Amino acid sequence: MRDRAIAILRSLIFVAFSLILCAVVFQFAGYNAPQMLTAVVDGAFLRPGAVEQSLRWALPLFITAVGVGISFRAGFFNIGAQGQFYVGAIAAAFAAEALRGGPAFIVIPLIFLAGMTGGALWALWPGLLKLRSGTDEVIPALRGNFLAGLLLVYVTSGPLKDPSGSGQQVSSRPLDAAYRISNSLGLSPTIIGIAIVVGILMWVLVNRTSFGVLASLAGRNGTMVRWQGAKLWQLGLSSFVISGALAGLAGTIEFMGPNGRIASGFLPTHGFTAILIALVANLSVVGTAAVAIFFGGLASAALYLPIMAGLPAAAIDIINAAIALFITARTHVEKFLRLGRRSS
Amino acid sequence: MNDVIIAILRSGTPLVYVTLAGVIAQRAGVWNLGLEGLMNIGACATILGIMLTQSYAAAILIAIAMCVIASVLLWFVIEKLKANPIIAGLGLTGLGIGGTALAVESIFGSQATVTAPFGAPKLGAAFGAYGVLSIFVAAMPFVVFALWLLLKRSRFGLQLSASGEHPFAARGVGIQPVRMRLIALSIGGILCAIGGAELATRSLQFFSPGKTSRRGFMAFAAGLFGGAHPIRATAAAFFFAIAGALGIRAQLMFGDKVPHDLLQALPYLATVFGVWLSGKLGGAKTAGSFGELKDQ
Repeated sequence: MRDRAIAILRSLIFVAFSLILCAVVFQFAGYNAPQMLTAVVDGAFLRPGAVEQSLRWALPLFITAVGVGISFRAGFFNIGAQGQFYVGAIAAAFAAEALRGGPAFIVIPLIFLAGMTGGALWALWPGLLKLRSGTDEVIPALRGNFLAGLLLVYVTSGPLKDPSGSGQQVSSRPLDAAYRISNSLGLSPTIIGIAIVVGILMWVLVNRTSFGVLASLAGRNGTMVRWQGAKLWQLGLSSFVISGALAGLAGTIEFMGPNGRIASGFLPTHGFTAILIALVANLSVVGTAAVAIFFGGLASAALYLPIMAGLPAAAIDIINAAIALFITARTHVEKFLRLGRRSS
Repeated sequence: MNDVIIAILRSGTPLVYVTLAGVIAQRAGVWNLGLEGLMNIGACATILGIMLTQSYAAAILIAIAMCVIASVLLWFVIEKLKANPIIAGLGLTGLGIGGTALAVESIFGSQATVTAPFGAPKLGAAFGAYGVLSIFVAAMPFVVFALWLLLKRSRFGLQLSASGEHPFAARGVGIQPVRMRLIALSIGGILCAIGGAELATRSLQFFSPGKTSRRGFMAFAAGLFGGAHPIRATAAAFFFAIAGALGIRAQLMFGDKVPHDLLQALPYLATVFGVWLSGKLGGAKTAGSFGELKDQ
């Protein structure tokens, strides 16, 4: 408990440090830094409606991040969440297109099924390459992200193109209102419910099943698990598939909820932020929820900053990047605050 | 035929310099995913440097200084603050992309393309059809060879590998892995600056935000693919460049019959195939424990 509190405090200190560093840089670049910092806090949590907006971003991020955490626990550096998220959304959009006109209570579950299957399949091939032929998973997963991005461009400008769309950004035809699970603000009881169910299921899976325990052990010491008779490749592949299915689920939610359609290059940093969240939360499910809300707040503040502080859009990327640079730092702070023994 | 070779040399050379930066970092035990950001910083600083000083040499020095500073920042964060190298590297990439975009916007008031009055010195008429290539293309084989000597045939190279693979043992014989990584990342910064400069000034000398478009990640992949060996990694970088050039060829030839985006996917597919093959043959290394340094 004490360790966890220290870990959270440490993360918060580094976030504050990153924000201050960014503020100094922006001040030197000629922008109003104090205004920027208040705008971040305002935009994330204080402004009316800000909490809802923050949750809107936090819930899909939480779902992807929990999945990423599962594969990281099993010792696989699955950085393909972005691609799995995209392919999930693409599969969901195809399903919605094929089932157009059917009754909602049948169509909606089928769309979800398609999205999760799409994400799982996109995770399957780097997983198979890794586990059947020893290929390092980092590069295929990274390439998988780029390939999924290209696939999204192709799909939205080809088979699923919205003929009435303007030339600026190609996107798919909008989803029928009957199948939407939220309005464009993106927060609804359905989405909250899905996130809670995913959170509980994954917590149980990780902490209360032999699969979760063995997968965590496999991440730390694969040889030992193999000697105990567990099939390492089954554990690994299942963790890949679960993590892909959850990223696909998040893609489906973005498609059926706030966006209502898929557009080329939409939400390009979703997967990266989810990885960041999983790592900051130290792969714990409860921690992931808390950290996801924080990053959801940053995402919602990001939309608010250009209006309030007159900062260019690139400033948001810099803030996120600065946090990424420092957030996994794990030294000196406890010593500095005299909070006791080092935990790593 | 000449134009194909020129195209491959042109697209391969920036990749090779950045790949070498990845190789030297990997030897020191650091998985440097900041290459993409460093390359952006190098490209942007070169263009802005040319505009500021009207001298190519001064611009390169500015670019090198900026990239080395950024690399030292990365070193400080992963070594002194003990951050995760992969996440910190991705953070540096974000800073490089966002920071250059902000720099362009705060100087020129828009995120437009910035064009410098002149580019890299070219080889000149003496090289015939190859005279349009920049001096960095000609220097590249020597840099690769020098790095091979440094990494594979020198005391320093052995100490660097020891720091990466067995830091505790290295410390036992009086090597300081912390300092070795600082040197490795700084040399990497210089190489990234040159790679970025070559990318920005090889033919049309301009910079626009996000100019490197994932070449840094390609270079990182080439370093892995080549098993952190300078010559094999260079070969891997050229393999990617050839796949890319063939992709462009295919677009010109079949662009009307096959969807454009699927042809663009060819280099990525080639990469995955290559990595799969090298994994099969046992060449590529794997990160293990999320790329953490081995002495933390």
